[in-house]
Amino acid sequence: MSEMTKIVKTTANILFPFTMIFGLYVIVHGHLTPGGGFQGGAIVVSGCALLLVAYGSSWVFDHIKDKRLATFESLGAIGFITIAFLGLVFSAVFFGNFLTGSGTLFGTTPATGSTLSNFNTGGVLPLMNFAVGVKVIAGLFVIVLVMAHASSIKEWG
Amino acid sequence: MEKRMIAGILVFSLLAVFFFFGIFQLHPFGEPGQVQMDDYIITHTQNETGTNNGVTSVVFDYRGFDTLGEATILFSAVAGVLLIFRRVRH
Amino acid sequence: MGVEFLIINTLVLILTVIASLIAVLLRDLLAAAIALAAMSLLLSLEFYLLQAPDVAIAQAGVGACLTTAIVIIAIKGTKRMEEE
Repeated sequence: MSEMTKIVKTTANILFPFTMIFGLYVIVHGHLTPGGGFQGGAIVVSGCALLLVAYGSSWVFDHIKDKRLATFESLGAIGFITIAFLGLVFSAVFFGNFLTGSGTLFGTTPATGSTLSNFNTGGVLPLMNFAVGVKVIAGLFVIVLVMAHASSIKEWG
Repeated sequence: MEKRMIAGILVFSLLAVFFFFGIFQLHPFGEPGQVQMDDYIITHTQNETGTNNGVTSVVFDYRGFDTLGEATILFSAVAGVLLIFRRVRH
Repeated sequence: MGVEFLIINTLVLILTVIASLIAVLLRDLLAAAIALAAMSLLLSLEFYLLQAPDVAIAQAGVGACLTTAIVIIAIKGTKRMEEE
């Protein structure tokens, strides 16, 4: 896609940081508020697609390598499966929640009933949210980026 | 042309009958049929997983295999797109 | 679960059906893509009204933004107007 006018670029410049911050907030607070890795990643990729539409695919393609994005996608998948296997090692169950109640990282257990949200809870759920968030951001953005760049090529050699 | 129209009307009315049948079989909003699993998760999720968010605890802990399958779907989608458009990259 | 909930719910569902009908009937594919995005956004509002905010966020992010972006990219690669 070719780049668009100055109005679209200015609007994208204003909207991009807010979209980014909101998406990262949804990922990080996935175990407290509605949302999670997939939803927050989709919001972040929405901001990146806004940038892609405003500035054109060749500009974005010059600044971000798609091979690096694919590497990050694989790293997210590997992290997710690694946490699942760590559950197998430490609590004898695949996807076992071995960090909850241990008192270390994310290890606090909240009181039963309607309580205030504490960020330091959840066991492995925040770590899995990070892994899935990285995976979804890199995966969806590389799909949109490569398709946009392919549609701008005139002839296929 | 005539045959296609008759077939379309037939398929459409069949689909409408199925949908209306499904609508009249629905439970009222907020009153599900089987509640044993819901009650267990609502009661035990704060002790067992340590989160206040029940939906995330189901997605990543009680039903982690579903999320693993979803991650596999995304991985294969990325692999397919990069394989089809590999000529794009110079 | 009063009568206001029923009225708003029915109104949103009727608007969803109208938006999807517009998306089917339009000849201009770009306008049809925008109508599809509006349908997806109304569907996300319906999910929020049915107290499923997780699904609403996923629907608004993937359905209303990313699908529209991919469809618009495909339209830019081909032709804008649908032929008879």
